[in-house]
Amino acid sequence: MTASATETAAGTGAAPARGSRSRGIRIFKWTLLTPLFSLFFFLMPVFLLQLYFSLHSWTIYLSSWWDADYAGFDLFREVLTESRFYWAFARSFLFAGLSTVGCFIIGFGLALLMYRPFRGHSVFYVLFILPMLTVPIVISYTADMLLFRSGPINDIMSFLAGTEIRFTWLANPNFAIFTIIMLEIWNWTPFAFIIMLAGLSSLPAEPVEAARILGASRLRIFWEIQIPLLRPVIFLALILRFLEAMAEFPKTWGLLQGGPGTSTETIPVYLYIVTWRAFNVSKGAAASYLVMLLMIVIILSAIYVLRREKKALDALYEKPAGGGEA
Amino acid sequence: MKRFVKKWRYPLFRTLMLTAWALLAGFPIFWITSTSFKPDNEWHKWPPVYVSKNATLDNYRMVWPIHQTGSIFVTPDQKGHGVAHESVTANKPWHALKNSLLIALSSTAIAVAFGTLLAYGVSRYRILSDTRMFQLLVLRMIPPIVVAAPLTLYYSVLQLMDTASGLIVVYFITSLPYAVWMTKSFIDEVPREMEQAAEILGASRWQTIWEIIFPLIRSGVVATFLFILILTWSEYLLSFILSKVDVVTLPVQLSKYEGSTEGRVYGHQAALAVGITFPLIIIGIFIRKHLVRGFTFGMVKR
Amino acid sequence: MTLIEMKGLRKVFGRNIEAVKNLDLSVEEGEFLVLVGPSGCGKTTTLRMIAGFEEPTAGEIYIQGRLVNDIEPGQRNLGMVFQNLALFPHKTVAENIEFGPRMKKVDPETRLRRVREAAEMVKITHLLDKLPGQCSGGEAQRVALARTLVTDPSVFLLDEPLSSLDAKLRREMRAEIDRLHQRLGKTFVFVTHDQEEAMTLADRIVVMRDGVIEQVGSPLEIYGDPVSHFVADFFGSPSMNLIPGTLSQESGKARFRAPGLTVELPPSFSQAPAGEATLGFRPEHLAVSQNGGIFRGEVRLVEPLGKDTLLYFDRGGERPLIAVVEGTRTFREGDTLGVSVNPDLLYLFGGDGKRIRRGSKGTGIRPA
Ligand SMILES: Nc1ncnc2c1ncn2[C@@H]1O[C@H](COP(=O)(O)OP(=O)(O)OP(=O)(O)O)[C@@H](O)[C@H]1O
Ligand SMILES: [Mg+2]
Repeated sequence: MTASATETAAGTGAAPARGSRSRGIRIFKWTLLTPLFSLFFFLMPVFLLQLYFSLHSWTIYLSSWWDADYAGFDLFREVLTESRFYWAFARSFLFAGLSTVGCFIIGFGLALLMYRPFRGHSVFYVLFILPMLTVPIVISYTADMLLFRSGPINDIMSFLAGTEIRFTWLANPNFAIFTIIMLEIWNWTPFAFIIMLAGLSSLPAEPVEAARILGASRLRIFWEIQIPLLRPVIFLALILRFLEAMAEFPKTWGLLQGGPGTSTETIPVYLYIVTWRAFNVSKGAAASYLVMLLMIVIILSAIYVLRREKKALDALYEKPAGGGEA
Repeated sequence: MKRFVKKWRYPLFRTLMLTAWALLAGFPIFWITSTSFKPDNEWHKWPPVYVSKNATLDNYRMVWPIHQTGSIFVTPDQKGHGVAHESVTANKPWHALKNSLLIALSSTAIAVAFGTLLAYGVSRYRILSDTRMFQLLVLRMIPPIVVAAPLTLYYSVLQLMDTASGLIVVYFITSLPYAVWMTKSFIDEVPREMEQAAEILGASRWQTIWEIIFPLIRSGVVATFLFILILTWSEYLLSFILSKVDVVTLPVQLSKYEGSTEGRVYGHQAALAVGITFPLIIIGIFIRKHLVRGFTFGMVKR
Repeated sequence: MTLIEMKGLRKVFGRNIEAVKNLDLSVEEGEFLVLVGPSGCGKTTTLRMIAGFEEPTAGEIYIQGRLVNDIEPGQRNLGMVFQNLALFPHKTVAENIEFGPRMKKVDPETRLRRVREAAEMVKITHLLDKLPGQCSGGEAQRVALARTLVTDPSVFLLDEPLSSLDAKLRREMRAEIDRLHQRLGKTFVFVTHDQEEAMTLADRIVVMRDGVIEQVGSPLEIYGDPVSHFVADFFGSPSMNLIPGTLSQESGKARFRAPGLTVELPPSFSQAPAGEATLGFRPEHLAVSQNGGIFRGEVRLVEPLGKDTLLYFDRGGERPLIAVVEGTRTFREGDTLGVSVNPDLLYLFGGDGKRIRRGSKGTGIRPA
């Protein structure tokens, strides 16, 4: 009864429009959301076009794209029966997986050594974030300068080993992918490092100190106290890094363009070659669709995990109702 | 003695490990810087030249020419006389720099502005649920190559191919998720009461944002801005695909040196690379403290 | 005249956290109303509904006769002082105070004058150019008051504004707020969970518990005439001695029994229903003697406070029995003493916590 009275009063009352709070809030919310909606509508046609191309057979050599022949699922079949596609997948997973793990192992290690300030702390910090500030395409050209057979890396290794080493970092089809993985690790270790450092230094000091007094070792403290509290942010960082590594293009392409042979052809490079080198736009679209589907599956499961982690975190820090003074 | 060893063992270990990685992290940067000052006969030498005894600015003069008319440009030769050259790539870096600045700055500004508003709405009015917030990250997580082809056609229909505005729009879209997530973690830290105090004193919602929220999170917004600027400035793929001719950005410009008729022109590449990279390094050092805060995306509680 | 009227107000958070349940309350023009109650009883929620930050789940709020349920907080002509003050840290004190008038588009000259007046009123003119971060706790408190009063609101809402201050400053600011109320003659609604603050400031006290009003009345009524066990326990320091036991009616005489204690109740209790009951009496109404009394026991703790001394008696129960005696008398821990009480100053509460009866002199006793 009271609720309905409120509504009618608000609707027909003396000055409902001016200062009507609920209406004001509604308008405000929608205003804030408009950019997101416009963005959505702007992007819609892209995905529709994608669908169109994957179902119609069209390459740049044919004339107008709008009257291409309907091909049904032929293109998908073509992609799915091509072993090159699967190889690209395998390489991408290897690339993203290994580089993510590498980044985090090194990043964690560095953060553990760094999270308590000491003299010279900020010098190391600045040096450590440099790789992340280097433009990826610059990294690929720099790598070319560093790693070619008479480059400084081989020279330094020769010096350290005492004999002349002329290692083939790039032209060796069995090793080239690992070279690129190392570059990726070099490039993004700072990301893992910063996140871990932020996490470790924002944790309250007391539990760690308490544990130390109880006689726990550094490693034990790390595993049993620090890691569990930082789990959500570690998950988020791992997932972001993995997905960004799946999409990595400038280094792979700039350095080796998928070669030697197809030995560094990851998914992005494969898609690029199919679409822009072979101009097989439709096949590229079909392959893209498949990739997108897979990525969406990965992302959705990632979101599921992240949400669970965030909920757990919120619950951990939620204040019990009431509480405090009597 | 034993105590001495025990006391210094950990710091020594720490310094060794950190120094090792610092050398690894810094070496490539050192190398392009050093190469950018080498004369051309030292680029490919074996054993490699680490610091040139004949350091020269020629690479910079070549890549970043000061006098130029069309594709003809003038560089001083060894004796200091001006020599006219013509080159496909040589007069472009300044143009590319201008494009990069325009595109990176404006797309970042737009992304951060809208991102902050969205983040405010999420933080205070929950206009996006937790799930929606994570879904927003999809915009960033989907590899751009996947949509590049239809985007090209779409852009040519809209006549956005090879234009600055075209790139600004895509960069806006791809940076938005980070903008929202990072600024939200800053907004979440502003106490609600602050806004309610303003509200009860008669401020409108927009006034509250402008007068209270924005000044309080300004340093966070600046950090977010610079972080996204770094990402946008370095972006390669979309720029490479969507604009190759007129509106070339610096990373794409750099890639044009590869495979051009001059062969492996390490010195020129290095000079250009230094020009691309050093602004970012300076920005990065400038915001290093904030990076730590923004990067936890509100997933660490204090 | 009634300034604020709340009818059937209810607030549910989420699905089933009922913070306020069916609250009816009116605030008179010019009065100093204090909302008091234990943590989590819904005081803040009530205040925030008046301010407009929380939308009532049901019920209506009228301010000066106008239904304000759906009116923006900024247009309700209210002033609010927050628990953590919520001063704008990036604006100077002067800019903080000026904020309200500026939002209401008052012209700059008038604004300046009003800032000055407000600052003078709370004696912070020397702070105007400082940032809030540079002010001490008490100064910041005054700034928050100035920022509110400069907008000349019809009602001041204060949510535990003193809780972050130390005891001495707290007393000082309490006096300051009292003085402001006198001087401005405006209506104040003040939230606290400190009973002493409530007693000293209020014209009228509203005692809340679990989202409902337990009792409304003047400080003396609340103190001398508590309607329930809860209110009796909440007010007074040290709090009332409450002894659970049983009441029996034997041939027209009421008798209260508890372990180690039997009290003959005066004739005014003869109508009270027999059964489980709680007997209450204030520590300051107890007399202590070497022998006799309703209860004899050993003094476990002597707590001299200067003017008075508190004696704690062990009764075996969870709470000790406390007596207040003059500070001039000396007692030692371990003394065995008798405690007697004036039967006219007894309270009796039923098993449900509601008061059944009180002694004939229950009202009109000043807090010690
Ligand atoms: N935004 C909210 N969401 C969910 N529950 C809430 C919210 N605000 C308050 N509550 C709950 O409502 C109840 C009343 O809260 P309220 O803040 O009004 O108490 P209070 O009387 O002001 O207590 P205190 O003296 O601790 O300030 C509490 O149980 C609290 O947990
Ligand atoms: Mg409260």
